[in-house]
Amino acid sequence: MPMTEQPSAPQLTGGISHSASSESVARAQPLAMRILVRPSVYRHPRAWGSVCSVAGLWVFVLGIILCSNRFWWGAALIAVGALELWIAYRLLVAPLPERVRELERSRAHVVDDSAARLRRIERDLHDGAQAQMVAVAMKLGLATKKLSAMAGRTGQTDLDRVLELVVAAHRGAKEAIAELRDLARGIHPPVLDQGLSTALTSLAASSEVPVELMVDMPDRPSAAIETIAYFCAAELLANVAKHSGAQHARLEAVHVPGLLRVRVSDDGTGGARVEARGGLAGLAERVKTVDGRLQVSSPPGGPTVIVAELPSHA
Amino acid sequence: MRIVIAEDSAVVRAGLAEILADSGHEVLAAVGNAAGLLAAVNEHHPDAAVVDVRMPPGYTDEGLRAAISIRRDHPETGVLMFSQYIETRYTADLLGAASGGGAAGVGYLLKDRVADVEEFVEALSRVAAGGTALDPEVVTQLLAASRHTDGLGTLTAREREVLALMAEGRSNGAIAGTLFVSERAVEKHVANIFSKLGLAPSDADHRRVLAVLRYLGS
Repeated sequence: MPMTEQPSAPQLTGGISHSASSESVARAQPLAMRILVRPSVYRHPRAWGSVCSVAGLWVFVLGIILCSNRFWWGAALIAVGALELWIAYRLLVAPLPERVRELERSRAHVVDDSAARLRRIERDLHDGAQAQMVAVAMKLGLATKKLSAMAGRTGQTDLDRVLELVVAAHRGAKEAIAELRDLARGIHPPVLDQGLSTALTSLAASSEVPVELMVDMPDRPSAAIETIAYFCAAELLANVAKHSGAQHARLEAVHVPGLLRVRVSDDGTGGARVEARGGLAGLAERVKTVDGRLQVSSPPGGPTVIVAELPSHA
Repeated sequence: MRIVIAEDSAVVRAGLAEILADSGHEVLAAVGNAAGLLAAVNEHHPDAAVVDVRMPPGYTDEGLRAAISIRRDHPETGVLMFSQYIETRYTADLLGAASGGGAAGVGYLLKDRVADVEEFVEALSRVAAGGTALDPEVVTQLLAASRHTDGLGTLTAREREVLALMAEGRSNGAIAGTLFVSERAVEKHVANIFSKLGLAPSDADHRRVLAVLRYLGS
């Protein structure tokens, strides 16, 4: 019996299947019909431009075919088609420079906004979860101390078990603090708040390979650019330590009006390449988000020189 | 010990006060910003101040700057800085201030270490007594950044361990306890380290630490 009921089931779903089918009907309609059905959508210049480019091309081609078959009134169609193509050009192509400027503005806004948001997340972590975990770990530390004193005195096995649990919780809390710290630092290194040159000084000093540092930054680039430059330098120095086998590295950051240039070089074995899904490719992507570029020179045998050039502002 | 605490997070501040009070120390004031810290130190002249690096209003290095000025104006007050991150730049500034003041009495620890109550209180006592307490991570960075790689390269693995613990500010007894060796053995290692690095031997713990730190930092 259930088998016979099945064919009627789609009808019962009502509204949803109905609207889906009307959607596909509209897609199958010719362009002219769609313009008549949804005139408001086609009032947008870009929609008009698309309509004119398609229609203009067809009319133009049709006119040429007619003319080549000596139906001279096809010349009128050629003229109409050309007019439509011109309108399409005015609507679609001519506004492009203005649109590029608009996109640049909105991208700069997005980049700055996300840098600010990351900074806020780091601050929230620091004031919230990190502080809470430190407080918890401190309390557990105190509890460990008290319990071990008590366990030493009384020697009860229950108390020993509680002590074990508290010690484990204490250890877990400390691990959580370390993990949170790494996470927060990956989101936004707080030292960056004091400027890129301070942050790079700290970075160079904590590198495993000795780093010679040269910073020339009379004024600061925007916060988002500083963040990208910092993560570039950090990743490149980490690469030097991990892969190059270098004895020395050099980190330069020069800021001239409009351009920040970060250069990392080492005396290692070379052979660094931008590979898909590799660290350098990721860096190149990150640099590109603000119209910067990453140049890699790393012949086999070295030396490796990697330069990231970034605009002063996103 | 008579202690002043400066930490902007209320929960951590309360936790610190609890730990210190529980260990039998007197917390004279617990404040949430650098201005409050300086006022409290001026008023109470404590043995030691526990200072968070990052405090309002700027949340950058307010605590560090306050610590440096306390070392300058109140040499009798030891300063133990602590923070979520170790920044080499801060270490350099703090140690510079310490040696400029002619005495040690500074410490720099990660916040994690505060959770190990006994070690933390021990580090604070050391700082209050004019000694030094550096986080193992600070020492690792100092060793990595030191330009004296040749000198350090002549040390044996054990001697490097002893050097690192010494740079943290620990006494021979504490080093012996950590490495499970006798104090005599530690003394022998220390003597070897000083002769290999070409440093003048010194018996007082804190002067010895300063010699090592100056060597690593110069």
